Amino acid sequence: MSFISPEFICLFIFCFLLYHLTRGKSRKTVLLVTSGVFIGYFHWEFLLIALSISLLTYNAGLLLEKVRPKNKSTQTVYWTALACLLLCWTGFRHAESLTGNASLLFPLGLSFYTFQAIAYLTEVYWEETPAERNLPDFLLYMLLFMKFLSGPIERPNDLLPQIKKLHPASYDMMTYGLKLIAIGLIKKLIIADHLAPHIDEIFQAVHTASGAQLIMAALLYPIELYADFSGYTDIAIGCAMLFGLRLSPNFERPFTAQTITDFWRRWHISLSSWVRDYLYLPLTSVTRRLGQTGIAISLIITFVALGIWHGVGWNFVIYGLIQGIVIVWEQNTTSIRKTISRRIGSPLYGLLAAIRTYLIFAFSLIFFKAKNMDDAVYFIRHLSFQTHSNWKEIDLGISDHICIVTGIALLLIGIYEYFMARTDLLRQIEKQPAVVRWSIYYLTAFLILAYGQFGSENFIYLQF
Amino acid sequence: MDINETLEILNRIFRQVLKKTEITLSENTTAHDVDGWNSLTNMLLISEIEQTFQIHFPFREIVKLKNVGDLCRAIISKTN
Repeated sequence: MSFISPEFICLFIFCFLLYHLTRGKSRKTVLLVTSGVFIGYFHWEFLLIALSISLLTYNAGLLLEKVRPKNKSTQTVYWTALACLLLCWTGFRHAESLTGNASLLFPLGLSFYTFQAIAYLTEVYWEETPAERNLPDFLLYMLLFMKFLSGPIERPNDLLPQIKKLHPASYDMMTYGLKLIAIGLIKKLIIADHLAPHIDEIFQAVHTASGAQLIMAALLYPIELYADFSGYTDIAIGCAMLFGLRLSPNFERPFTAQTITDFWRRWHISLSSWVRDYLYLPLTSVTRRLGQTGIAISLIITFVALGIWHGVGWNFVIYGLIQGIVIVWEQNTTSIRKTISRRIGSPLYGLLAAIRTYLIFAFSLIFFKAKNMDDAVYFIRHLSFQTHSNWKEIDLGISDHICIVTGIALLLIGIYEYFMARTDLLRQIEKQPAVVRWSIYYLTAFLILAYGQFGSENFIYLQF
Repeated sequence: MDINETLEILNRIFRQVLKKTEITLSENTTAHDVDGWNSLTNMLLISEIEQTFQIHFPFREIVKLKNVGDLCRAIISKTN
């Protein structure tokens, strides 16, 4: 059940009405049952797996607290639970290649709720958060339907207190949530879904595309990925706000980053901060005696692991490796960048640095998006300005009309994000006269309905 | 060693590792307040502090340090 499906809209409206008509503990029941239906709708086995992992994590958390005062080894409990979670994730991730059975499906959301489970257990193990004793609260933390499929990956200290004090959403919060959903739909339906079929086609058949088409596909893919995933996140955060819940932000204008280091502080924030806290920092603790070399080793291991998380194959290893190597390089060239910035002026340097960051990320995404390593290498070796027949083919087969619509939508989202960095534009809209306000609402709805590419219900990050 | 002496030594370490002469730490200073003190430099600072004071911080102890005041108290308890 995708966010952009009639089934989801019906389930969501039903859940929303019941949630706001009921009181106290019934609200938790409404959210929990809806989450169960949402997950089980795909496959009842997916619900069973999610419940099993949640129960394992819940009991391991309680056991950690139980053995701690008796001075028994909390390490054994923690590492055993962690090993179970990682084995389960690895087993499902590699099930197809291990068994040769192509009909085995990777359970939706497994990576994301496994990450949440690891975050929870680690926080309990580090004594940063108490073990959750209320099972329905914990199940909601793990299975809440708005963030179940692709995050944001929530920390226990952020989400559990909100679940414990569920309340109806205020009018302000609801309208804000609806506006975020509209922004998400523009990103997804007008930008990502218009670009996706054409970029996919190039990556599926790299041998038949011209050099110029390969360049265009490589340059446009970061935009498609961003519009798709940040669109999903806006919809997820907006939906949660309709229930009075605040989910963590996942993107903060990543394409304004002047370095890849900064880029990863702005891109898929809930995952990059998870990886920083639970993998990179423990690694640097082990390697700290090695100084800068230790930091470099930890960074590279962390980003290779991040690459492997996205998929099986050397192309994902290279994708992670590029991020790691560039960040290590950036750490050792800070003074060079400062000198260049002083010489050419900060505004021009900022622009050039942002373009450089975008190009490095676009290059690394060739390994991320290509079917396999051979395709990725072919893709890179054939990047050129050569065309098969004429320059018109660099539109990748997108019609002029769609080019204009997608281009305008991209420009509007760029302007929106530019102003959001300075002031909360969505709040500013609320302060406008009713005529202006409602004109914007109707125009947005018209744009989505008239120019949205309906039909595809998939989001790119569902596969992870 | 008292907290002011510890702060003075920490100031010197932070200025040297982060290559910023203008850093002045207080007990309430956190990573958000110091330009350049982030996940990439945190362990370099910890390592330098450990070598200077001849002490060792287990990882779980590092996680619990929320500001410079916590760091000072942890150093004092290990050196006294």
